[in-house]
Amino acid sequence: MMRLAFLVAALAGASPAMAAGGAPVPWWVWPLALFAVTFVLGAVAVLAGVGGGVLFVPIVGAFFPFHLDFVRGAGLLLALSGALSAAPALLANGLASLRLAMPAALVGSVTSIVGALIGLALPTGAVYTALGITILAIALLMWRSRKSDHPDVPASDPLAAALRLHGVYHDPATGREVDWKVCRTPAALVAFAGVGLLAGLFGLGAGWANVPVFNLLMGAPLKLSVGTSGLVLSVIDTSAAWIYLHSGAVLPMLVAPSIIGVMLGAKIGVRLLSVAPAAKVRSTVLVLLVFAGGRALLKGLGIWA
Amino acid sequence: MTDPQEVYARWLDALTGIAFVFSVLALALYLTGALTPFVAPQAVVELWRLPVDQYLARAGAPSGWGWLSLVGRGDYLNLAGICLFALISLICCARVIPAFLRRGEPLHAALAAAQVLVLLAAALNLFPGAR
Repeated sequence: MMRLAFLVAALAGASPAMAAGGAPVPWWVWPLALFAVTFVLGAVAVLAGVGGGVLFVPIVGAFFPFHLDFVRGAGLLLALSGALSAAPALLANGLASLRLAMPAALVGSVTSIVGALIGLALPTGAVYTALGITILAIALLMWRSRKSDHPDVPASDPLAAALRLHGVYHDPATGREVDWKVCRTPAALVAFAGVGLLAGLFGLGAGWANVPVFNLLMGAPLKLSVGTSGLVLSVIDTSAAWIYLHSGAVLPMLVAPSIIGVMLGAKIGVRLLSVAPAAKVRSTVLVLLVFAGGRALLKGLGIWA
Repeated sequence: MTDPQEVYARWLDALTGIAFVFSVLALALYLTGALTPFVAPQAVVELWRLPVDQYLARAGAPSGWGWLSLVGRGDYLNLAGICLFALISLICCARVIPAFLRRGEPLHAALAAAQVLVLLAAALNLFPGAR
């Protein structure tokens, strides 16, 4: 898996140099390279339990020659399409809750629009610096955060009760029906506002933050948190994606092969899920995130242009 | 009475499938050169290092919904496929409003309606600051 990661980094790192100093790279190499990279990222993202966008933006932004405006637009659509393809099955078997997703998605979608507008107005160097810091913080969060399969929620808060944020799902792993309810809804909505802002600003998707908010703050079971996170992500990213689309920051040559690559890669990732060494994949992703986040930070500071 | 969650899942599944097939076909037409692109691929490669404002100016490419008249070109047919993905959540949210109302859940219907308004405003390019 580490070799695979270095292969991705080497492929991505070599391409701009070839374009800048060597013989001109035929244009069709780029969509093919993007398809290959996003196919791997799609599979790795599933195995590591993160969204494709959180890997795509720092890695492609740091090592490919595309301007960050286009990378962020592509990142949002990539995360969006991956979440859309997974959500129907999760909704159908109760591992995602539409009612739980709706308030979070509404708050997050408004702030993601604000984030996208800010991101497109800021100087590129400032966005790279902030992106680098955010990616390093995400890597730290992934490394340190604990998860709780079935958090203990003594009682729903009044807002959760009014919104009927409770239910039952069937856990195929244990064969049991799992009752769930949530608490601290107002605080969680504030957190989702922040998540939406970052998603729009950096084109990152939002799965890395949605799951801890649902699971650790609201007390939703882990499986429900993961499933519902994708649904929330699909709405939040859609809102911000329209801003990038209307701004012209969506290049079909980047986005179309990336979407197809990540969707096909995610399907392979799901098949590999039962046999792949999850801990090693997760460690590899953490190393990649630290490297790409550090690169983005140094690029933003003008140290490693 | 059908649960809104089932309705949402069914529509999401169907629309995502349509958008995916459309995107694959559009990409094939683009990459094979069967449909001439508006911005030549080699020009895209030369310009994508620039910020979006400069890219649009140099490529003569439209922003907002200005590309609709160019949907017969390979690159903008792909953009149409991308827009299909971006319309899916809006359509699904709109579809569950009557389903929530039929089940006597006006609060959830109102949430879905508010979500439709936000997504519609973004899709219609109504936010100041977006180009």
